[in-house]
Amino acid sequence: MKPESQPPQPAARIPGQDEAALVARVRAGDRTAFGVLAERYAGVARRVARAVLGDPDDADDAAQDALLSALVKLDQYDPRRPFGPWLLRIVANAATDRRRRRKVRRVEPLDPALVAGGARPDATTEQRALSERLRTALAELSHRRRMAVVLFDVEGYSHAEIAGILGIPEGTVRSEVFHARRRLRVLLADWKELE
Amino acid sequence: MTREPLPFDHRPDPALGAALRQALEPAEGSHTAFVARLLARVADPRGTGSWDRVLARWARVGVAAAVVFSVAAGYLVGRATAAPARPSVAEALIAPRTPVVEVVLASVLGN
Repeated sequence: MKPESQPPQPAARIPGQDEAALVARVRAGDRTAFGVLAERYAGVARRVARAVLGDPDDADDAAQDALLSALVKLDQYDPRRPFGPWLLRIVANAATDRRRRRKVRRVEPLDPALVAGGARPDATTEQRALSERLRTALAELSHRRRMAVVLFDVEGYSHAEIAGILGIPEGTVRSEVFHARRRLRVLLADWKELE
Repeated sequence: MTREPLPFDHRPDPALGAALRQALEPAEGSHTAFVARLLARVADPRGTGSWDRVLARWARVGVAAAVVFSVAAGYLVGRATAAPARPSVAEALIAPRTPVVEVVLASVLGN
C-alpha cells in the first residue's frame, strides 16, 4: 500500500508563500522581517518545545534559544525548501538538549479525581482537566513519539517532513504516530469527549 | 478520534489534534510577551545579542583557535626540521673519531 505523502491541508499549518522573501530580508539585516517570522512561528515552536519538555517555562526558554539559533544559522537555510520543518528541527534539537541537560524533575502527581475521571463542575474546569490529563499522557510517551504525534496531529506536518525534522526514517514516523495515538486512546479511554 | 486507527493512517486526527493543541497551548496573552522578549534578546548587546555580534563572537573564537593551532604546528614543524645540535665539549672529547690529517702528519714528523 503506498501511503499518501501529504496530509490534507491541516488547519494548523502555517502558509509559507512569502517565507523565502522574508528570510532574504532577515539575512539582509531586516529585524522587522525577523519579527514577522518570529510572530508566525512562535506558537508552533512553543508547543513543540512544550511537548518535549512538559514545563512551560523551560519550553519557552528552549523555543527562544531555538529561534535565536535559527537566526544565527539562517545562512544554512535553503530557501527552496519550506522554512517550518527547518526551524522545527532546530526547535526539537534545542528542546531535546535542554531536556538532557536539566536535572530530572518529577512531574507533579495528577489529581486522583482527574485520573478517576471525577466530578467536572463546568466546561472550563473540564477542559483544563482534559488538558492536564493529556499532558500527563504525553509525558508517558517517549519524547520522539510525543513530537511525532504533535507535529502530525497538531501542527499538520506530513510524515516525510516530520522524518526530516526528527532525523528518522519516514516509516518510523508512521509507526511512532500510530503507537502514540493508540497509547493516548488507552490513557484517555474514560474521557467522555474522547470515547 | 473515535475510530481505531489503521496501522499507517496518513490522516491527521482532528479531535485528538485539537485536544492536544489545547493542552500544549501557552497561557493566554503570553504570545506577545514571548515575541517581545525574543526581539529584545536579539537587540540586546549584552545578552545573546544581535546575530552579527554572535557571529563576531564565534569569529573571535575561531581566530584564537587558528592562532593557537598555527603556533603549535610551527613549533612541531620547527622541531622536526631543525639542524642537529652541536655536540658538547665532553661529547667531542669522548666520542671516537678519525684523526685529521694534520694530527697524523704531526705525530709522524714528531717521531
